[in-house]
Amino acid sequence: MNVGSKDWNPYVAGVALGLVLLATYLLMGFGLGGSAAATRVAVAGAHLVAPETIEANRYFAQYVGNGLNPFDDWMIFEAAGVILGGILGAYSAGRIRPGHVDHGPRTTKLKRLALAVLGGVVMGFAARYARGCTSGQALTGGSVLAVGSWIFMIFVFVGGYLAAPFVRRQWR
Amino acid sequence: MTPLYQTGAFGYSMGMFLAVLLGIGFGFTLERAGFGRAKTLVAQFYGDDMRVFKVMFSAIVTTTIGLGVLGGVGVVDLSLLVTPGTWLVPAIVGGTLLGIGFVVAGYCPGTALVAAGSGHLDGILALVGIMGGSLLFGFLYDPLEGLYEMTSWGKINFVDVLGVAWPVLALGVAVMAIGGFFAAEWAERYFAKRQGSEAPQDSPMVRNRVFGGLIGASALGLMTLALPLAQAAPSAPLETAPITALALADAVTAGHGDLYIVDLRSPEVCKAERVRGAMCLSAEDPKAEFLATLTPTRALVLYGAGPGAKLPESASRFGNEVFVLDGGFAAWRSTVLTRPAPPTNPTPAAVQDYEHRSAMHQYFTGSKAPPAPIMARPTAVRQAAKKGGGC
Repeated sequence: MNVGSKDWNPYVAGVALGLVLLATYLLMGFGLGGSAAATRVAVAGAHLVAPETIEANRYFAQYVGNGLNPFDDWMIFEAAGVILGGILGAYSAGRIRPGHVDHGPRTTKLKRLALAVLGGVVMGFAARYARGCTSGQALTGGSVLAVGSWIFMIFVFVGGYLAAPFVRRQWR
Repeated sequence: MTPLYQTGAFGYSMGMFLAVLLGIGFGFTLERAGFGRAKTLVAQFYGDDMRVFKVMFSAIVTTTIGLGVLGGVGVVDLSLLVTPGTWLVPAIVGGTLLGIGFVVAGYCPGTALVAAGSGHLDGILALVGIMGGSLLFGFLYDPLEGLYEMTSWGKINFVDVLGVAWPVLALGVAVMAIGGFFAAEWAERYFAKRQGSEAPQDSPMVRNRVFGGLIGASALGLMTLALPLAQAAPSAPLETAPITALALADAVTAGHGDLYIVDLRSPEVCKAERVRGAMCLSAEDPKAEFLATLTPTRALVLYGAGPGAKLPESASRFGNEVFVLDGGFAAWRSTVLTRPAPPTNPTPAAVQDYEHRSAMHQYFTGSKAPPAPIMARPTAVRQAAKKGGGC
């Protein structure tokens, strides 16, 4: 059976996603995020290794400064939920695939994994620089009509289309 | 009245519990949208499956319309919603880089979490990369700070910029999105044919129902404009509430940016030294008429040199709460800018107060106060949940 056969109709999935986001706004007054939790975990990890360096860093101070616990944050709990939701979704669609690597026929698993890390580094950097990613900026900010979020979103698509021809072998 | 957390209906722990529930909803929906698979996501950029565009924009349109309707009937106070600030260059450069990273990694950060949940190794490694990239940014923060802070346009949204009511904009966005969806479906067929692949075969009936529903809901939003609720209250005599220097310091460090802080002293004095983030008066506007024109999406904090500053009349025309800093800048200087002395009688409360003050002192001046005498382990000052946009 095709792994995508349990995918919802994209417009229905979009409305469902929009309702989750709407509920988040009604309950919390702010929206959803995707990258903040990864940043917090990374900072916490780095703080274990080199506490002085991390505390002295002016950017990391917002996570660990003044005795703050980087895990004590809404985004951490939300991201834990996202992972759980991912598990539930994949389970309900019969597609939990431990160790699976999604790639096209013209590349190797190893190259694909290397690019996953590399792309991740670029995204991690970009998400901190832009103060959010596709979830926290584009989706969340876009739906409250924030100007910067729409500009960000347009340029995510621009960047994707610019880079796509160069990594075509990976996917197609 | 919502948002419930902002209006104090529940506290921090309940917020964390809801974070998990809402996260589950977010993750489950993303997974069932097909966003746990890299190939499905990046197909967006090869043109023959524009699922990313369809899901994302129907989600945005749903939320925007929903907020417009609920705001119109008074269920949600739209002015309390957190609007991410706009930094033009970071949005353009960061957006482009994120798009590049997305097509290279195969996931964006949120969908990498979902892929990791499905067990996908590439999703897990993308997350590892994101962590590395975040650290890289932090370590390069000193040379990058100028680029990070440049072109700050403030917390602006299209309602203010275009001067168009929310429900009207929501309808506009819905119409644009639906036009975009038809164009996307056309493009899918075109690119699928060119690449010898298959365009998605989603039911046009379901699609049409969704589109009909969105337009119907937008129309409901427009009708709320006719309700009398939306009328602004007439200008009332100025009512202000006091705020202590320490409470103001807390609000500033929490980084919520939900305050306008205005320094009422002369522009020269203000420019030399002011509360971090405060605006100075300008010589062209001696009566501070600009206060009346500030978008009332945040509260306003005013302060003069000391206690009892004369408040400008325009503050009474500001549409949100007005606070006056207790004791003015003098109190700020003595409470926050002056190094606190360690308590002579270190009771837990005194130590906690001292640590709080030194944390604030350190934050605002960058210099450390000596550690408190050890007596009882005080709990760290709890921050309110960080607001959205943090992503």
